[in-house]
Amino acid sequence: MGAVYETCAQHLADSIRQFHPDANITVVTQDLLPHGDQGGYVNDWQMFVASPYRQTIKLEADMLIASPIDHWWTMFEHRDVFVSTGCRDFYDQPVTTRRYRKFIDDNQLPDVYNAITYWRLSSTARDFFNLVRSIFENWDEYKQLVKFPEDTPSTDFVYAMAAQIMGPELITMPFASYPRIVHMKRYIIGTQTENWTQELVWEQDPLRVQTVAQWGAFHYNIKDWLS
Amino acid sequence: MTTGAVILAFNNEETDYVTMAAWGARNIRRHLGIPTSIITDCVDTDKLVDFDHVISANAQTGGTRYFEDYDRTVTWHNAGRTDVYNLTPYDQTLVLDADYVVACDDLKRVLNATQDFMCHRYALDLTTGYQLDNLNKFGDYNFPMWWATVMMFRRSNTARYIFDSMQMVRANWQHYRDLYGIRQSNYRNDYALSIALGIVSGHTLQVDNIPWPLYSLLPSVQLSNVHEDSYQIQYTDSQNKLKQMTFSGLDFHAMGKKHLEAVIANPS
Repeated sequence: MGAVYETCAQHLADSIRQFHPDANITVVTQDLLPHGDQGGYVNDWQMFVASPYRQTIKLEADMLIASPIDHWWTMFEHRDVFVSTGCRDFYDQPVTTRRYRKFIDDNQLPDVYNAITYWRLSSTARDFFNLVRSIFENWDEYKQLVKFPEDTPSTDFVYAMAAQIMGPELITMPFASYPRIVHMKRYIIGTQTENWTQELVWEQDPLRVQTVAQWGAFHYNIKDWLS
Repeated sequence: MTTGAVILAFNNEETDYVTMAAWGARNIRRHLGIPTSIITDCVDTDKLVDFDHVISANAQTGGTRYFEDYDRTVTWHNAGRTDVYNLTPYDQTLVLDADYVVACDDLKRVLNATQDFMCHRYALDLTTGYQLDNLNKFGDYNFPMWWATVMMFRRSNTARYIFDSMQMVRANWQHYRDLYGIRQSNYRNDYALSIALGIVSGHTLQVDNIPWPLYSLLPSVQLSNVHEDSYQIQYTDSQNKLKQMTFSGLDFHAMGKKHLEAVIANPS
């Protein structure tokens, strides 16, 4: 995790504490990786090992939490693993554009977003993260099975493959309307440029975009927004 | 508690909204069994006999607007709608556009609802059966639009806040145009209502919607009357084929004023 991401993670932790002052939060930095820095996305599987908790919610660093989220635990308590599916725009409407999900659709994989991932210490979670590790570390072989244009897979794509192999019903809750991230990518929100922070009207505390109050997980994408 | 309908009608160069409203008042009485008041600058008493109350008001223009069915730009006296809360003589009011056709008693369900304010969230094109996606949002960033065509409200804090907010939007129209990326310079009630609902909902956009769509006919659709409460439409579909459809007992928003005027002038 680079310095920019560490700043993002600190803002994310602060946003959680705003609603849950006693929340247990761990920011995993490179020096905390139990198997050392393997480079970029490949480190993701190590979160399973690095987590000091029996039940963990892993959040992507470039997000803010805009409302209480303690009800997520209730949602997750009967699951061993949960990876969020689908996303929404800042009007809280389900995103319909598939522009950023072509690789998912081309391979008929579940529409997962690893930005919100939950697991409890369990064999299912261990199998899932072992599979994630295997896909990352043996990408040249796995790549033969799928249509994916890039040399390096994204975490979402690897999670989607792992979810498909283990069974989407075990890893995702496709009919759950939450938790879902608000995704602030250009072709989802209809901005002229990638950097929505220079185009839309936004306020912090409480977080609003184009006057609309945000809730849940807000994935802002522009890494230096809050730095 | 008194309940009634209110129609705002200010004639312009092309459209006789008052005659349209009088025809609407008769439909409202027949289907909903409630009195109708008109808010107007018309003083021709012969045209006003169908109304239980005639409330005088000056026409307030929101600008000019091109109407496809007339193929010309006309003055749009739409800016007075925000005053309805203060002008209505009723405790519970159903505000209807003059070009909203009441052909059944569906709106009784709205009148029986316990909410303080309700309106339509989605307009649906009767010719396709699909939502009018390009009209159900506005501004550069697709803010969701609520329609001011049909509004039910009770005298209440919620309704007052909504109309006060609409007045604030109207009074500061340029600011809200900039904020919401609205390219049209004309003031529009639907936009003001949507912005007001955003404000009053605490910017959550959690609003009590009328639980069915606003069935709408675009101005290009030819409308004719088959018999009472039964209408026929002719239109060209997406494959450029001429289509015809008849429907009965369905409320709808006739966006083409010219066709509706012809229906009212020549009832079958």
